Amino acid sequence: MLSFVNQADKRRLVIVGAGMAGSKLAHDLQQAYGHRYQILLIGEEPHVGYNRIMLSSLLANEISHADMPLVDTQKMQDDGVLIRSNDPVMSLNLEAKILHLSSGQAIAYDQLVLATGSRASVLSIKGACAPNVMGFRTWHDVDVMTQLQGCQPVCVIGGGLLGLEAAVGLVKRGHKVVVFHRAQYLLNRQLDEESASLLQTRLEQMGIEFRLGESPESFLQAADGNVSHVVCQSGESLAVSLVVMAAGISPEITLAKAAGLTTNRAILVDEQMQTSHPDVYALGECCEFEQHTFGLVAPIWTQIKVLIKALVGEEAAFVIEPTPTKLKVSGVNLFSVGRIQPLEEDNCIFFKDVGANHYRKLVVNEGLLVGAILYGNVADGSWYFQLIQNKTNVSDMLDLLVFGEAYCCAQVA
Amino acid sequence: MTTTVMPASSVKTTCPYCGVGCGVNLTIPDSVNQGVPPVSGDMDHPANFGRLCVKGSSLAQTIKSDDRLLAPMLNGQVVSWESAIETVSSKISQVVKDHGPDAFAFYLSGQILTEDYYVANKLAKGFIGTANVDTNSRLCMASAVVGYKRAFGSDTVPCNYEDLERCDLLIMVGSNAAWTHPILYQRIAAAKKQRPDMKVVVIDPRETATCDIADLHLAIKPGSDAAIFSFLLSDSVQADIVDHDFIVKHTNGFETALVQARASTPNLSYTADFCGIGEQDLVRLVGWWRDTAKTITFYSQGVNQSSSGVDKCNAIINCHLATGRIGKEGAGPFSITGQPNAMGGREVGGLANQLAAHMDFATPGAQDLVQRFWQAPNMATENGLKAVDLFQAIEEGKVKVVWIMSTNPMVSLPDTAQVRRALEKCELVIVSDCKAHTDTTAMADVLFPATGWSEKDGTVTNSERRISRQRGLLPAPGEAKHDWWAICEVAKKMGFQSAFSYQSIHEIFAEHAALSAFENNGKRDFDIGHFSQITKAEYDALTPVQWPVPKGRPEGTQRMFENGRFFTPDGRARFVAITPSLPKHQASLEWPFTLNTGRVRDQWHTMTRTGDAASLAKHTAQPYVEIHPQDARQLGIKDKALVRLTSLYGEVLLKAKLSRAVAPSQVFVPIHWTQQFANAAVVSNLIPQVVDPLSGQPESKHAQVRLEAVENICYGMIVSATPLSLADCLYWCRIPSEQGFHYEVVWPKGQTQASLKAMGAGQSKVTAAVKKTEWLEYSNPITQQIRVARLVDQTLTLLMYLHPQPESLMADWLISQLTINTALSVSDRLAILVGIPANVEEKGEIVCSCYQVGSKQIKKAIATGICSVEALGDTLKCGTNCGSCLPELKRFIPVVAELSA
Repeated sequence: MLSFVNQADKRRLVIVGAGMAGSKLAHDLQQAYGHRYQILLIGEEPHVGYNRIMLSSLLANEISHADMPLVDTQKMQDDGVLIRSNDPVMSLNLEAKILHLSSGQAIAYDQLVLATGSRASVLSIKGACAPNVMGFRTWHDVDVMTQLQGCQPVCVIGGGLLGLEAAVGLVKRGHKVVVFHRAQYLLNRQLDEESASLLQTRLEQMGIEFRLGESPESFLQAADGNVSHVVCQSGESLAVSLVVMAAGISPEITLAKAAGLTTNRAILVDEQMQTSHPDVYALGECCEFEQHTFGLVAPIWTQIKVLIKALVGEEAAFVIEPTPTKLKVSGVNLFSVGRIQPLEEDNCIFFKDVGANHYRKLVVNEGLLVGAILYGNVADGSWYFQLIQNKTNVSDMLDLLVFGEAYCCAQVA
Repeated sequence: MTTTVMPASSVKTTCPYCGVGCGVNLTIPDSVNQGVPPVSGDMDHPANFGRLCVKGSSLAQTIKSDDRLLAPMLNGQVVSWESAIETVSSKISQVVKDHGPDAFAFYLSGQILTEDYYVANKLAKGFIGTANVDTNSRLCMASAVVGYKRAFGSDTVPCNYEDLERCDLLIMVGSNAAWTHPILYQRIAAAKKQRPDMKVVVIDPRETATCDIADLHLAIKPGSDAAIFSFLLSDSVQADIVDHDFIVKHTNGFETALVQARASTPNLSYTADFCGIGEQDLVRLVGWWRDTAKTITFYSQGVNQSSSGVDKCNAIINCHLATGRIGKEGAGPFSITGQPNAMGGREVGGLANQLAAHMDFATPGAQDLVQRFWQAPNMATENGLKAVDLFQAIEEGKVKVVWIMSTNPMVSLPDTAQVRRALEKCELVIVSDCKAHTDTTAMADVLFPATGWSEKDGTVTNSERRISRQRGLLPAPGEAKHDWWAICEVAKKMGFQSAFSYQSIHEIFAEHAALSAFENNGKRDFDIGHFSQITKAEYDALTPVQWPVPKGRPEGTQRMFENGRFFTPDGRARFVAITPSLPKHQASLEWPFTLNTGRVRDQWHTMTRTGDAASLAKHTAQPYVEIHPQDARQLGIKDKALVRLTSLYGEVLLKAKLSRAVAPSQVFVPIHWTQQFANAAVVSNLIPQVVDPLSGQPESKHAQVRLEAVENICYGMIVSATPLSLADCLYWCRIPSEQGFHYEVVWPKGQTQASLKAMGAGQSKVTAAVKKTEWLEYSNPITQQIRVARLVDQTLTLLMYLHPQPESLMADWLISQLTINTALSVSDRLAILVGIPANVEEKGEIVCSCYQVGSKQIKKAIATGICSVEALGDTLKCGTNCGSCLPELKRFIPVVAELSA
């Protein structure tokens, strides 16, 4: 029985969602202000506080379960954080400041943080609800994929980061993987055509097959309800044992919406991460700030810092900053920041060394670096990011800029 | 004279470059696989006392050339010597039989040795019967020869190098000795440092490196030199500094010369105006001239290469005769020659307007004397064709066989197009050379492979009449033979066995010496009779000595005319009445710029030897045209940009070098670059065949040209493991490099990565299929840079850099990457498109060639507080070896001092 009583000297803070954002918030707040808060962390998954980014490595068999934790949940509990896992919140009463868990329990709070994250978007393709059509979001998803035995044909929908990670993991497990990607090239939000084709070549060498500019027409379901074939737009059909949906994510806002919080694509928050209700906050992939939603770790960590300060009444404000995307796909480091699709008035500087798996593209506008893609060698990524952040005038180093910090800074000195 | 004992594997020899004639110690490597160790200066040689300039210091680097001519060739096919000699001798015999002896000509060189010269001259003038024996010396000191002969009755250099150190006033006219005769310049600079009262005046349209030690620089209007000396003559009378006694006892023609001088240059302001100089500057020179008995006038190509070169020489000599400043320590008119053995050629008579041994065809009794000495069957009886006339006669079909030896007329003679037409027309062009590929060997029907410096034995004479040995130490490569041997073989094949059957080189020298003394009895200045019986052992041990060396005077002669006796029939020197005149062609609206030509510091002649030393390319890597910034601005020409120079005779493409060293409306172009090194940089293309009527020396330092910036182009640099054909380039220049091939290029605008790669791919036919080829690419639309690199099996084979504006990129590191056999590291793969490894100091443009110290290093050292050239030398070693960069080093110092002030 959960013991979450009103202690006279502590406020009751409930965090809904024990993913990365929720778990880290619980951990950091406990560390800093544990004496002022009674924290309850509620998760729908059986696993709490693990590092979701590591799922692809887990799938690819590169790490073990022991490598998964993001925070030490045992220690958090020892310190006084209450954790409720495998028990999703079913409803929320903002007026009464009470929520109800799937297990039937009602929990009263003083303050509430929604960290409900997101789910894989399910495309409106016939048969998409079949049991062997799955996302790639949770530890459980990995468990399902891991259970797939032998060399099975698998179809991954989406050539974004998640889709490629799933594809790489599955192909490393010996499966035969076909990736459908609606755009003309892979990772089209992070890469340009040139670097994407370098990546594609590399992934093809691993055995992954790509169908670019293409979405499946439909899924054919067998008698047991499972999808047995993917039908292409050409009419061709491919036999599959499993379909992984990785064509984007949707913020999980069902609970917030039902409770009457103001939402758009996600739960609207202000610069203190406060929702439309004064005692309710939101952060992570489920929140929306100035028309932005969030998928990368860095801004979410910032949100945690801002929220903790806001909770204890210190001054803090969340602002959106360009965030570099640092990826690692199948051992290839990728770095992407800022405006990578040049506007008409932008110029692009290129360096390309296919043999060394090394590509750089910098987008420059009127003496300022505004975007960068690094493929292979990303050591200069943070330097480029700083140049963008600080709006450093790079006019004097344009001839060396693409070669990195070592050259440009040597020149300055 | 003391002689240092040399190890058996070493010899003392003489430098093959300029007319200073420095002694060089040459050592052969311990094993055949090793390169020749660096040479050193001969401490005992009176020309240099151990010093060497940067060119001389780099001699060892030039010995192992990839481009030696190793076998005789006939129409591009290798043939035996026997067959080549048969072809040549039968063709000469045939044209002589059909068209007379003047259908044959030798075109020789101030780089061949006296003995080579002697047998060529003997064969032509005594046995074939033609005086068509001319030489590239025609281009360098023919005017000085005629000037001396008109004044002294003989081609006699009165002075010696010590006089340069002992004079109190040194007037350097038309000489950039700092670069062209560095060791003499350093001796002068050292003397001036020791005696700061010694005055140095430089008379030169350009502000050259030599001006560094000058108390006064007169930047005269090109070619106006004679007016200065015309005025000095009349002023000497005015100031009453003339040596009346000397004039009366030892000269003729003073009054006439004076009258003409007064008429030509009536007063100081007229003269200053004629020369385009400030009156005050002329007043200073005149004052020093009046006050300084010990005056040397030191002159070179700026005087000689002129349509009135002889008159200029005599204008100078007149002044020395009038003041009796001749035949005395520290005084005299001193012509300096540019070649190692131009003097030897003069002594032999190896010029079309000489007979032999300082005798002319017109010298009474000379033809008979020489005929008897040689036992010659077919004596020539009159002057032959001088260089420019010779090549015109070839084009006209009058001369049908020409034997060119050790020179490159396709580069050095004016109006290259005419020279090409002549050689194309000529029935048989024979070229003797060390090199397989020169602009002239390309025109040859027969190629004779010649031995070169370090391989051949013989003598040379330097600018102070000093005869020194060149000594062979290294074996002749391939089938290469000595030039004298080839000449004698042809002579023997033509039926002149007895006169050309020399067993050894010393026999030729002995015969030359004997001819100089034959029935001489003091009548002729050139007498080296002491050597007429020289043995092989004596010849091998010969130490440097100044002629005359008549029998009984083995110590030779330091200075001439000390007794006031000259070699005219009456023993008196002659004044020559001079009217100064300007160059034949003057500026016009159509041809507004006046072109001047000359040498750069670290190259020599047509780069056939200096072009083999990568270090010598560092100081000046590419041919250039020096333009005054004011003119450049008006023409829209930026520094280092490509410029087209056009004259009535042709065009060249050169990089602009903006400099206030040249006056507005004047430009300067160096003479060195041939088609072996650049596609369109042979400056002779622009130069008209205007010659001095007396000496036949071309006015090669003067042409009227037009300049324009070349538009719609981009610049590039290429580093390649293999030689490239660069037909796609508007301009290319190959810069000598330690490894591989380094080119600076200009392409038409609009190149892309793809077009560069296509050009590169077109170059490699063999490897691509077999080996793994990769391309690395960099493109930057903002800076408009494109760079591509081709790796084959992960090693660098080709790099192409493109930039919109000319850039000075240091290619050394890139070139060094060509020879790395292991796969390039990831960071080096990036670095080859940057141009430098991330952690290496960039040297900047090389200033000190000896120690490879660059401008950026020097500036850095100065920024740390170094404020003298000496301290720079202590820190970076720059300037401490040959010292030829000292004038440039000095210029670094004040700039920073101003900044810190």
